[in-house]
Amino acid sequence: MALSGMRGLSVFISDIRNCQNKEQERLRVDKELGNVRTRFKNEKGLTPYEKKKYVWKMLYIYMLGYDVDFGHMETVSLISAPKYPEKQARSYSTCMLNENHDFLRLAINTVRNDIIGRNETFQCLALTMVGNIGGREFAESLAPDVQKLLISSSCRPLVRKKAALCLLRLYRKNADVVNVDGWADRMTQLLDERDLGVLTSSMSLLVALVSNNHEAYWSCLPKCVKILERLARNQDVPQEYTYYGIPSPWLQVKTMRALQYFPVIEDPNTRRSLFEVLQRVLVGTDVVKNVNKNNASHAVLFEALSLVMHLDAEKEMMSQCVALLGKFIAVREPNIRYLGLENMTRMLMVTDVQEIIKKHQAQIITSLKDPDISIRRRALDLLYGMCDVSNAKDIVEELLQYLSTSDFAMREELSLKAAILAEKFAPDLSWYVDVILQLIDKAGDFVSDDIWFRVVQFVTNNEDLQPYAALKAREYLDKPAIHETMVKVSAYLLGEYSHLLARRPGCSPKEIFIIIHEKLPTVSTPTIPILLSTYAKILMHTQPPDPELQNQILAIFQKYESCIDAEIQQRAVEYFTLSRKGPALADILAEMPKFPERQSALIKKAEDIETDTAEQSAIKLRAQQQISNALVVTDYRPPNGTPPPVSSLNLVKVSSTSSNSDYNSVDQGADHTNGTVSKSDSQTASADLLGDLLGPLAIEGPPGAATSEQSVLSGGDVPSAADAAAIVPVQDQPNSVQPIGNIAERFHALCLKDSGVLYEDPYIQIGIKADWRAHQGRLVLFLGNKNTSPLVSVQALILPPLNLKMELSLVPDTIPPRAQVQCPLEIINLRPSRDVAVLDFSYKFGTNVVNNKLRLPAVINKFLQPIQLSAEEFFPQWRSLSGPPLKLQEVVRGVRPLPLMELANLFNSCRVMVCPGLDPNPNNLVASTTFYSESTRAMLCLVRIETDPADRTQLRMTVASGDPTLTFELKEFIKEQLVYIPEASHGPTQVPAPAVPQAPVIPPDDPAAILAGLL
Amino acid sequence: MIRAVIVMNTQGKPRLAKFYDYQPVEKQQELIRSVFAALSNRAENVSNFMEAESIFGPDSRLVYKHYATLYFVFVFDSSENELAMLDLIQVFVETLDKCFRNVCELDIVFNYSKMQSILDEIIFGGQVLETSSVEVMKAIEEISKLEAASNAISLIPYASGWSRR
Repeated sequence: MALSGMRGLSVFISDIRNCQNKEQERLRVDKELGNVRTRFKNEKGLTPYEKKKYVWKMLYIYMLGYDVDFGHMETVSLISAPKYPEKQARSYSTCMLNENHDFLRLAINTVRNDIIGRNETFQCLALTMVGNIGGREFAESLAPDVQKLLISSSCRPLVRKKAALCLLRLYRKNADVVNVDGWADRMTQLLDERDLGVLTSSMSLLVALVSNNHEAYWSCLPKCVKILERLARNQDVPQEYTYYGIPSPWLQVKTMRALQYFPVIEDPNTRRSLFEVLQRVLVGTDVVKNVNKNNASHAVLFEALSLVMHLDAEKEMMSQCVALLGKFIAVREPNIRYLGLENMTRMLMVTDVQEIIKKHQAQIITSLKDPDISIRRRALDLLYGMCDVSNAKDIVEELLQYLSTSDFAMREELSLKAAILAEKFAPDLSWYVDVILQLIDKAGDFVSDDIWFRVVQFVTNNEDLQPYAALKAREYLDKPAIHETMVKVSAYLLGEYSHLLARRPGCSPKEIFIIIHEKLPTVSTPTIPILLSTYAKILMHTQPPDPELQNQILAIFQKYESCIDAEIQQRAVEYFTLSRKGPALADILAEMPKFPERQSALIKKAEDIETDTAEQSAIKLRAQQQISNALVVTDYRPPNGTPPPVSSLNLVKVSSTSSNSDYNSVDQGADHTNGTVSKSDSQTASADLLGDLLGPLAIEGPPGAATSEQSVLSGGDVPSAADAAAIVPVQDQPNSVQPIGNIAERFHALCLKDSGVLYEDPYIQIGIKADWRAHQGRLVLFLGNKNTSPLVSVQALILPPLNLKMELSLVPDTIPPRAQVQCPLEIINLRPSRDVAVLDFSYKFGTNVVNNKLRLPAVINKFLQPIQLSAEEFFPQWRSLSGPPLKLQEVVRGVRPLPLMELANLFNSCRVMVCPGLDPNPNNLVASTTFYSESTRAMLCLVRIETDPADRTQLRMTVASGDPTLTFELKEFIKEQLVYIPEASHGPTQVPAPAVPQAPVIPPDDPAAILAGLL
Repeated sequence: MIRAVIVMNTQGKPRLAKFYDYQPVEKQQELIRSVFAALSNRAENVSNFMEAESIFGPDSRLVYKHYATLYFVFVFDSSENELAMLDLIQVFVETLDKCFRNVCELDIVFNYSKMQSILDEIIFGGQVLETSSVEVMKAIEEISKLEAASNAISLIPYASGWSRR
């Protein structure tokens, strides 16, 4: 066929092809671009044809991967292009531009003239150009004209279908600008169209419209069903729209897609007609020889399956679907196998069919060995999704077996999924330990730290499991070459629990030490501290002491005392000193206390990875229905029938981020002041993962430190959590002055209002008055001396978190009797975070030194400004923020039950404004606010709460904003507000109010004191 | 919506690359390279689907077809039906076939502009515009006529300038 002979272009392409190497190619391209530039500069001699030719050359160069500077000259010469080739060139040149390019702004008027003009060819070119860009300014000025073209009866189908898609593009990109009010009627009319090309485009437009708001388009529903009937019966379908014997599969698919946006089909007649069509598709589709025909017929079939699932059809039809899918996953045609597996995964959402799907388990496992990695991935997803308590053992073992032969590309995902399933659905805990150890053994490189941290947490929290885990770890150490992660986990387990095995052969402390020490030369620096801790623990458990072993271990400690790595050196020095303490060692190196229960970081991580929402929620659903043994045991069984001592819980919480802003900020503060390196606190970023990562970091810390903290804490009178950190020098006189009222409660009250009392004791009262403007704030501290004698040595130090910039004006050293001083504090919010600033406040009254670390209520909600949104403003924003990390959803449990009105008040008092009437469901709340910080500027945040009237203690919360950190932090903040119970003193962020003032008695030889001194 | 259409040969050289969401040129090349790296690892007689989220981000799917020395790749999101996209590749190729009579890679190399025009008649701003190759051909012929007409007119006064180049 004759081509638009652009000889210049052909010559150029041929030149490029003749280039021997990339260098030559680049030279040729540069030469051409130079040529183009000069030609455009001398625009007078440029014909429309030449303009077009040069634009094509630029396009070709652009495709080759060179940056083409579409410059001013070219722009100007194409704007008012009156001739066809120029218009064509103008339309094509837009591929190289982003929607903010100046050219587009300048061209709007001429483009508009083309659209409203009479020349259909020009209309098409203009529409193509607008459709390729879809920019905001185009939408603002052109959408109404494009709408007119679409419904105009005088236009040819060629123009109208382009108009439909152009409108769709403008609407998708700028839903707030394109006004679609009153479009329902027009859409209904458009669906009567006979031309299948226009109908297909209109259907795409309808899909976009109903996906945003199906309510307005109910009238289109029967029309869609009519179209499906027409196609299914092959009535009035012209030959050119029959594709391999099937009446326009695309239109069928699009129409079924549109129907999936309507929640139900109420009209019984429409419903019946639709089900007839669907039934016909389900029954009448066979796998045939012709691949293209197969693809087309199954495109329709799979869409029909989705629609059936969506309509939640009668049980009979559902099982028919599952049966079909069961057939598909075994056929030869790989595409159909692939989609069969994928759709089965989607179908897991429908709980009734799970049992039927399980019947195909063997076939699905076979697919795990399919030659096609795409199919293997789908099989893995499906197995992961269909796993529950009944088949977990089979599936996980199958996954483990597959692990050794699987592609490297899949191993990480595979090991993560196996670990999660093992954790969620473990029939017993020893099996769980087996699985994880096997996993580390087989795919150590792909096992993230979270996985072994988690197994350590489980073992620590379950005494029955400890001997078993230690024994297993011991067995793995016998293997000739083991992964470093295995060294870590076995060293840790054996350090803690090897004494439980002492009577078994090969498990004497000495033997254990030797076998672990053999690994030391092979491991990297981060593992060595773990080994040192293990040695110290072995030494402690060796009863009666074995002098030979002791000398060996001490020699190792000595050797590492001069290690260049600070962590190793510190441990070596500490353990060396400690291990000469004799029996006192046992107190210091006691077993790690139990870990507080929290959501597995693994599961969180997996949720981040998964994007298939259907699959994800299927898993969640299952996890809610059946809580595995593993979780039950750790969740609800108090150790030895008694609740764990508060102090040990607090200890671990020090370094966990789980809603524990108090501790974190204190840690950070302490970090600044003392310069002590404490591993955990510098990393208290908001990332989810850290929640669990940090726990184990606490494990890694010198075990001795742990015990000392406990004794300090349990002995001391600690009004604020700060003293719980071991870093506070022990010789500090703890406060003997009692605060009046509950500090934590005061803090929480101040989070919701702007003035009040922050702290009070018999001598002083600290009040606060704050004023917040966007990302800035001014907080005045009122320090009031309640007594008739002066307060001296007054010191106030602000320990700001990383997200706030704070400046406290000078605080006077002395507060005269009965006087009040004001200390203004300037605050600037840098970025979203829940970290809290701490006021380190001390004064002297008589001989009493009183020191308090008080959280300052400069919390995230202070930088919010409520904003009321209308439905038109809210929904486009809500939809444009789709999915994590910008939009996060969580089911919150243990919410203090509140009537809806009070819940709304709570939100309003947090400066998140409830927008009534936006959510059609009266049990839901929709709220919006603006967040201000230096990094984010003003940013809109949207919140939706779905409550369950039957169970007020749980709700589902969705938070969205344009910044992932903000979304996460705000979500966590709201969660804290919902779960926080002011009446009880054992809230998650509080230390119980000290009831008895008790002077700490720390004997000079107390190991804790010595250790604290060391630190 | 369809996010990208890539045609490349089995050595990874792009023959056509169209991204319906603006991507800077370096990003385009990187995407093309990643797609090629993944495609070249795939055997014959496997499915036409390939995992694309690691390359194109969440909610992206990829189908491809392999014809002689060429890969035709469509990338799209979950609002499209995978098999229907595969059918669309077939329509695209069949149209090219009609246009060039047994299309081969060389046709496509030298008729880069033609192929673009055909694609533009099938996909518009990331949405399916036309699915009947008969209709696409009609539109293309119309464009060819217009081009021929305009070329004839404009070439006369500049004939000398043309041969000089």
